[in-house]
Amino acid sequence: MVKPFNILSNRKGRVEGKAKVTGKALYSAEYELPKLAHGVLVGSTITNGKIIGIDTSIAKEIPGVIDVLSYWNKPNIAALENAEKRKDFPIHHTFFHTTKIDFNDQPIALVVAETLEDASFAASLVKAQYEENKDMDIDFDNVRKRVDLNDMKDDRGSSSNWQNAPHIVDQEYEIAMEVHNPMEMHATIAQWDSANSLRVYDKSQGVNAVQNNLGALFNLDPKNIRVTSEFVGGGFGSGLNMWFNTVAASLAAKQLNRPVKVVLTRPQMFTMVGYRPESWQRVKIGAATDGKLLGVIHQSKHTKSQNHHFSEGITAIAHKVYGFENVQRNATTVPLHLSSPTWMRGPGDSTGTFGVESAIDELCYKMDVDPVDIRMKNIAPYEMQTGNPWSSHFLDECLQRGAETIGWENRPTKPLQLKEGNWYTGYGMAVGLWNAMRRHAGASIEMDKKGNLVIRTAMTDIGTGTGEAIVNMAHEFLGIPREKIKIELGDSIHPKAVTQGGSWGLSSLSGAIAAASTALKEKLATYASTNDQQWKAASIVLGENEISMQGKPDQKVTYASLFTKNNLDTIMVEEYSSAGEEREKYGFCSSAAHFYRVKVHALTGQVKMDRMVIVVDAGTIVNPQAAANQIIGAGVGGVGMALTEKQEVDINSGRLVGNDFAGYHVAVNADVPLIEVSFIDKPDPHINPMGAKGLGEVGLIGAAPAITNAIYNAIGVRFRKLPVTPDKVTSSFNSSA
Amino acid sequence: MRPFQFHTPNTFEEAFEMATSKTAYLAGGTNQVDLMKKHIATPENVINLKNVSTNTIETTNDGIRLGAGSTNNEVANHPQILQHYPLVSKAILAGASPQIRNMATTGGNLLQRTRCPYFYDTALPCNKRDPGSGCSALKGNQRMSAIIGYSSKCVAVHPSDFCVALVALDAEVETTQSDGTSKTTTFEDFHRLPGENPEKDTNLPENALITSVFVPKNAFGNNIAYVKIRERDSYAFALVSVAAALEIRNGTIEVARLASGGVAHKPWRWKNAENYLKNKSATLENFEAAAKLVLSETEPLAHNSFKTGLLEGAIITALSQAADNTLETKW
Repeated sequence: MVKPFNILSNRKGRVEGKAKVTGKALYSAEYELPKLAHGVLVGSTITNGKIIGIDTSIAKEIPGVIDVLSYWNKPNIAALENAEKRKDFPIHHTFFHTTKIDFNDQPIALVVAETLEDASFAASLVKAQYEENKDMDIDFDNVRKRVDLNDMKDDRGSSSNWQNAPHIVDQEYEIAMEVHNPMEMHATIAQWDSANSLRVYDKSQGVNAVQNNLGALFNLDPKNIRVTSEFVGGGFGSGLNMWFNTVAASLAAKQLNRPVKVVLTRPQMFTMVGYRPESWQRVKIGAATDGKLLGVIHQSKHTKSQNHHFSEGITAIAHKVYGFENVQRNATTVPLHLSSPTWMRGPGDSTGTFGVESAIDELCYKMDVDPVDIRMKNIAPYEMQTGNPWSSHFLDECLQRGAETIGWENRPTKPLQLKEGNWYTGYGMAVGLWNAMRRHAGASIEMDKKGNLVIRTAMTDIGTGTGEAIVNMAHEFLGIPREKIKIELGDSIHPKAVTQGGSWGLSSLSGAIAAASTALKEKLATYASTNDQQWKAASIVLGENEISMQGKPDQKVTYASLFTKNNLDTIMVEEYSSAGEEREKYGFCSSAAHFYRVKVHALTGQVKMDRMVIVVDAGTIVNPQAAANQIIGAGVGGVGMALTEKQEVDINSGRLVGNDFAGYHVAVNADVPLIEVSFIDKPDPHINPMGAKGLGEVGLIGAAPAITNAIYNAIGVRFRKLPVTPDKVTSSFNSSA
Repeated sequence: MRPFQFHTPNTFEEAFEMATSKTAYLAGGTNQVDLMKKHIATPENVINLKNVSTNTIETTNDGIRLGAGSTNNEVANHPQILQHYPLVSKAILAGASPQIRNMATTGGNLLQRTRCPYFYDTALPCNKRDPGSGCSALKGNQRMSAIIGYSSKCVAVHPSDFCVALVALDAEVETTQSDGTSKTTTFEDFHRLPGENPEKDTNLPENALITSVFVPKNAFGNNIAYVKIRERDSYAFALVSVAAALEIRNGTIEVARLASGGVAHKPWRWKNAENYLKNKSATLENFEAAAKLVLSETEPLAHNSFKTGLLEGAIITALSQAADNTLETKW
């Protein structure tokens, strides 16, 4: 499309920034409702078995305690009244409707009290009786050996004709269980306005999904359920599902006929809202002497829970990124007595990429070729699965710019070359790729007599700067000064929109904003046109006080006169938009190149990120500051995946070990240098009106292998199991010495 | 959190009068409040020491006295500490975060509980939290467990960095008792080993409070180092840490101090290694030999033998850095 305005200015900050830093922005737990009661969940203390009774007598003696919900004390819910019906619901919606315990800390009760303090103290006094089954599957390394791989049934070419390739790498790679733990704990306030009308404030990445889920559970028309998630303190995928806190608050509010708030504790964030599953993968890659990648076998296994199927595509990435003619994929999931995993930033692909990008690096050292060259040579020339040409794909430019920025040419091509004191320095790189998607989304625009706009959509802002992006897009499409735009997000009373996630939020919204903008201009053209003067919608520019026609400086009409002439109070438009047939014709992806420099201490095992250069192709960059912010955060997440993050499980009890911010180590500022982000910033011609491709996931994908590849370059030790903690580094030195 | 009465007395006498058998004393609260939130501590009576403990830091002829109420950041950034006791500053700054160090106090630091993850999980046995219930770490995850001085009842470690510097510098703990008497304990004898009674972390009597910590003058100058190996570069407890201090004349070590955190139920002094280094030249070979000597004394558990490798590297690094007299923050 033609861009009449030079829009993507560098306005700093975010439209909601001031509200957030001054505490005016309300997160889901922060709404004050009259008679609000506080609920605290109680988790099981066994891992496998059955709950046979619950003693709430001591808990109920605590002043302020109102009730304790459990299997034995809950409102009747027709949808869950028998086992057959419960099959339609995920296990994490039905914990009060089963006595079966499948993981430790499975919710067994909700203590509701007048204050949070009363509720949490009373929760510590609830005693449950169990029939415990001491047999439990906890240890992924052991259990996975009992589970066979499945054929993914989409093999391409042959898995035999390249087995004698001159260069072959065949290795196994593992990543520890990682938890999301956004700053804001998952929280719900539920209030029944009547028997058929439910009002919910819920920390979620998608209010319409929560609306539908609750509708199914309580047999209500979703129209009678209003869900608000106006501000979200980080999602990372943990807010894609509706979890038990939402169900528990809704059940309690129904039972007690008053509003109930349930906020998870930090340790409950480790067991009740999913996590990235522990994984194993095998990657076998063969290459010809000229560096052409011939074939790949990619196999994977990852954890899931006993009663909820979750599978993420770990093995899909190799043939998205590279032009493999021969592909074999096998995968399976390994049921353990742990809570359900779920999607976590870059689900599947960031895990698979660790295997593939490590294997290719290993191949490069075997072949003595430049890891950048081999990637340039093998970038998938078109979308391999469909044969469609890429709509736009600038991974080659990402690689060139990244290499130039970090000084790749001057790196040592062999390990153990750069040493200062006990510090070894190494360079590593890897690439990431993520399908650039677009889903269904709606938006409305309301204009008042002064030409001020309110733009509304049900889509949430999960911290990615969606509001500011909408301001920029509306300014792009309408020309209207940014200061005249107000944004309202994350409420199911607004036009429906897809759940924010999968890096498709902005891409999906841009269609809706464009369509609503066009509709608004059409209305304005109709209202403004007279017999003497015709207005063409496409050429209308919205100014501070008036609309004008592009290229006709004298043709103007003020908002005031337009509204008066047509006897209007407001102008309202609402439009919806989806991807179209371009999806049949083209492949769409975002991509990133990571170029890192690390320092590794020979005696203490410390790995220090020294430089991180990330170059991203995500089409048009709609909000440069927030986009960079996303990539920086993803880079930090990559450091966590590679070096610090591992959720330990106690093999004897099945309980998580160190499940708080002291025991589980997310990377912090001290662990990262200033992360250097740059964007190719070329519009994709087909994906959506903005030409923007999603960038939420792609910054994480490839970050971890770039780090382990750099460690190899520094010290000559190949780490195939994440995270690489100091003890692994020192013991590798000791064993090589 | 269990409901409790909150008192803010103005004198030690008042504080002792308010104390019952269900009392918890509150200083900075950076550990105590966590324990209360997790129902590990369920006091009925919380006595705030804010108006009782002094935060005065005073230099005397033979050392420096840190009031029990002085915050970690007040101590770490005190000009006298920075000039004459830089090891104290470096150790403090290796721990926690600026926000926590602004609250945490000298007295509270000594009395913080272990960070053994099983101590914090009330659903699992822990002899320190619930005497006689058993030790979950003994057969469990031992990443944060001891490699020396533990017992079959408890393998927890003391989490402090500050205390590692204090034990290395032969500090003393000054206490006052409810009968009004004062007492001075060497730092080494203040904390105890778990033995049969891991529920007791220290030798502080029941009716006593820490008034101050005294650090005697030393001649180490800048020949000190604090090396901490942890899971991330800030805001993590030590896997192992090492405080080293050397008095070197003409290349010969006259006095050596070597202590560790993350290895035992108390801040640990490596006396044999110190004696070994005495009158030896400050060379890498001697530092390596001292580290080997330390390692020969450790008895890692089944799942934490990795700690010895880390400890060896940390000791060599700390001694080398101390000998270099550089005070560089990065090692």
